[in-house]
Amino acid sequence: MGHDTVEWVFVAIVIAILVYVGVDSWIVQKAVEEIPADAETIKVTGQQWFWSFEHEDGTQEKIELHLIKGHAYKFEIYAKDVMHSFNIPDYVVFEDAVPGHVNHAWFSPDQAGKFPIQCREYCGIGHYQMRGTLVVEENKS
Amino acid sequence: MKTLIAVSVITVIALALVSQMHFANAQLGQKVSEKQYINLRAEVWNEFFRMTTAAFTVGAIVSGTMIWLVWRFRESNPKNKTPTKWEKFDDPTSGTYEEGGH
Repeated sequence: MGHDTVEWVFVAIVIAILVYVGVDSWIVQKAVEEIPADAETIKVTGQQWFWSFEHEDGTQEKIELHLIKGHAYKFEIYAKDVMHSFNIPDYVVFEDAVPGHVNHAWFSPDQAGKFPIQCREYCGIGHYQMRGTLVVEENKS
Repeated sequence: MKTLIAVSVITVIALALVSQMHFANAQLGQKVSEKQYINLRAEVWNEFFRMTTAAFTVGAIVSGTMIWLVWRFRESNPKNKTPTKWEKFDDPTSGTYEEGGH
């Protein structure tokens, strides 16, 4: 076995691992970003210093967001004044709210209960209290 | 030899990804019957652990190779007593060096 063979094996192993990293990440990203067709759209608006929500049927909520366990929800995220960031840590929902731009995120709550919603982008003096609550209710139907 | 290496690499990648594809297909099948959605939290953490494994593997290969190189080609290694064909000068000072250069 010549010394160049060893080098080729070395290069091949590293390339194989890097290709695996790329393909695997691509597969997972595709799966995570694919919004289910039956997801209910909820408009989320961030403004100094609270969150407001609008359901598909026109119901509006402030600070508290009520959802049903087991359903899929797609968020359309808006900002009225400065940049905010919509974050539900327990469900890995984390997307910037940018004035003049609509961002999207989706999730499906699999546990009933109360979960914190917070702003994760410094947005002014009241940033620390720009919190909300996600209330996930059992599916009664 | 290069073909063999290329085929081996492709095989390893394919084997590593096959299990995931099976899992994804199983999930798709479930979606139709039971209306289940993927668990983002689980997906993201699983990906994190897989990437960490890959990163540590690359790190181990690279640092392992460097450690081996330093050990193998150290001056005190008995295998290095005989100079290689690139080093073998009758008179070590008679090599061709550029005048005034490095």
